[in-house]
Amino acid sequence: MARSELSRGVQAAAECLNIASRPRYCAPMRCAQRAFAPSTSRYLSTTPSRRVGIDDTPKLESVSQSLEPFTAAPPIDFSKTDKPSSMGNKKVLEGLRIVPASPSYFSAKPTFTDDYISLTALLRKTATLPTVTPAEAPRVAWKSIDQYRIMTNEPVKTQRFHKMLHVLRRLNCIHPTLIPDEVVQAMKRFKKDSQPGDIVSPPGVLDEWGRSRGIGRRKTSSAIAFLVEGEGEVLINGKPLTIFFDRLHHRESAVWALKATNRLDKYNLFGRVTGGGSTGQAEAMTLAVAKALLVHEPALKPALRRAGCITRDPRKVERKKPGHVKARKMPTWVKR
Amino acid sequence: MMNSSTCLRSFSKLSLDRTAHASLTSRTLFAPQTACFSTSTGYRAQVTSKAKKPVAPRRGEKTLNVKKGKKAPNYDMGKRPNPGERKAQRKRIVLSNNNALAVASLQDLSPKNVLDPSIEGKVMGFPEEIVDALRAEEAFKPSQGWGLFRRPAALVRKETAQLATLIKAVEDAKAEKQPRTIRRLVTGDLMSGKSTLLLQGLAMAHLRGWFVINLPNAQEIAFARTDYAPLAGSDPLQYTQDTYTADLLRQILKGNRAFLEETRMVTKPDLPFPLPANSTLKVLVEQGMVNSEFSWAVFTTLWQELSQPGRPPIMFALDAIAHVMRNSDYLSAEVKPIHGFDLTLIRQFVDHLSGQKTLANGGIILGGTSQSNKPATPALDHFIKVAEALQSDPDNVPKWNPYLGVDQRVVDALQGLEDPKQKDFDVLRLGGVSKPEAKAMMEYYAHSGMLRHTVDDRLVAEKWSLAGMGNVGELERASVRLRL
Repeated sequence: MARSELSRGVQAAAECLNIASRPRYCAPMRCAQRAFAPSTSRYLSTTPSRRVGIDDTPKLESVSQSLEPFTAAPPIDFSKTDKPSSMGNKKVLEGLRIVPASPSYFSAKPTFTDDYISLTALLRKTATLPTVTPAEAPRVAWKSIDQYRIMTNEPVKTQRFHKMLHVLRRLNCIHPTLIPDEVVQAMKRFKKDSQPGDIVSPPGVLDEWGRSRGIGRRKTSSAIAFLVEGEGEVLINGKPLTIFFDRLHHRESAVWALKATNRLDKYNLFGRVTGGGSTGQAEAMTLAVAKALLVHEPALKPALRRAGCITRDPRKVERKKPGHVKARKMPTWVKR
Repeated sequence: MMNSSTCLRSFSKLSLDRTAHASLTSRTLFAPQTACFSTSTGYRAQVTSKAKKPVAPRRGEKTLNVKKGKKAPNYDMGKRPNPGERKAQRKRIVLSNNNALAVASLQDLSPKNVLDPSIEGKVMGFPEEIVDALRAEEAFKPSQGWGLFRRPAALVRKETAQLATLIKAVEDAKAEKQPRTIRRLVTGDLMSGKSTLLLQGLAMAHLRGWFVINLPNAQEIAFARTDYAPLAGSDPLQYTQDTYTADLLRQILKGNRAFLEETRMVTKPDLPFPLPANSTLKVLVEQGMVNSEFSWAVFTTLWQELSQPGRPPIMFALDAIAHVMRNSDYLSAEVKPIHGFDLTLIRQFVDHLSGQKTLANGGIILGGTSQSNKPATPALDHFIKVAEALQSDPDNVPKWNPYLGVDQRVVDALQGLEDPKQKDFDVLRLGGVSKPEAKAMMEYYAHSGMLRHTVDDRLVAEKWSLAGMGNVGELERASVRLRL
């Protein structure tokens, strides 16, 4: 049985050589990279198309160079196979060697394995290039395993994926000034669509009065801070800090960005706060003041981040759920 | 209300000499509690109840508990304070802290330097005799932080210096035989040092040899905790507060003892009690002190004596003025509320504040406002806002809100605040202290050992900002009281 299969396959390959111009399956546009030009290679591919997922990224160069354009095998004519084969065909067959297009032809996850092999090959090629420490390497958001699975439509195992990520991270550590274009292109396939630092908010500017403006939010409060060079005067909603915030803690929170960076006596602050309670208002002011301060002195960003004035606290009141007394609380259990 | 019962009591005591109660120290706390006659059947009631009721176990005592599963309540066995003890604790005024360090560099106020502009921005101590007088006048308030330091001292801030120039102006005018009465309302934010400024004004007046009368809290006058009686022959009807006035006389005597002892009466007043001819003012005041029913007559006589030529200028101060700028809690015989201005002491103050009467030898009328304990007084608030606007932004003077109820008597009294030409009647607005002043204060804290920091510009600027641009009370709270 197996033998007859093989002979059939060989015969199909021979047919394919004989019939050059034959109506072919027209692939959709996303497979356009695979050229349909008749190959001059001596090899033949019998691999089925593996681009079944929503994989529209360019294949790795090193792999695709060795690949053959895909052509489907012609229908097998059983009437012909019954006849004794002619001598001419035999000669052609002797000169043929059927090689799978991908070295991972016999693997269950060929795309992944191809990717992995090509990446390791690339790493081998560039291993001698100088590197930077991982901390200094450019920050990259790699595709998550789920995204990769959907892209390749293969059940990739987590551990193997992480092995690949390891290689990718090593490639990313090549010194940014010396990194070959080949590597950059290869890494593109594994990056997320949006990278950290892609979205850059427009830089703040000082208006004609020398004021900078920052907006901060916390809980349900929202605050706008106007910061101008001065000697430490603070007015929030037109009131002094002590009148507006009863607790010393809230006062400190409101000007914490200035206090933590020793700038309390360098600026005058005008704040407008709406919504929420006093804690929310004070902490919304923290963020607003920090953002306004960054317009004056962008170099303070690390210091402000260490002081906890950059990241917005996303916590809010959790919603009440049906069947619950509050967000999480369940009614008391009663036997009957 | 106190009124009926206390009046009855006073009536029953009319014939008795009050010298027995001369050791009273505060006006409102120590009204005599023993009645002369009683219509109650208290004794009998007590006997029957004692006989019938079984004696309940004392609190904390163990008893047999027959209820199953129920534990006897666990009372804490601490001793409960006696009646009045908590209030005494609350009202106690502590003026020294033995644990605080004595500040060697602290200068005292003296009659010479008190009007000198060079002391502005320094912390100055109050001399001991002045402290006693101020204490007697209840000028120190329990909420102020005197108990944090070795001895009382206060910053001479910009507004204090302004007050000193006013005192100087009054003295100069008196020297030129053109006595001048300057009236000021001290206003400002919560904890901005209004009462302390009043205290500094009193201290300066004491040092300059003025006659000082201080009504420490208008609420105590208006909230109907002391007895009152209609003043015979007054139209419209006024009410005297005899116990309160008697106690005020006691405080006046303590505060101005030297002057009262050496000054002899020159008028021949028609008093309801015999007074030796050519007696000192001290004798007069003592008579009013011990016989409270004569206290108002004594007060008016004293005022007349002070109006004679050659007598010192008067410093007359009243704190928390809003309480009398409306109806008091007293009721008239027709069960109508009595207006604060119908109380004789308040009338005396308000007449001089409004400019209706002037001081014969000149002086200063000082009214203090309070932000923490103030009833709604739209008229007063409006006039203060107007006067502040006239000082800072004369083009934007606020208008009266016609939807607010207006107290015409208050409007009449404070009309002068709207008039920018009346230089003698104005508000003294207290803002925050400046940074150099804050630094002087914080250095004093550090020298006293109450602030354990090196006082540099950074710390001062930080505290100054956090204290709402130099609010004195907040500055003290942030640097001494709350150690974070």
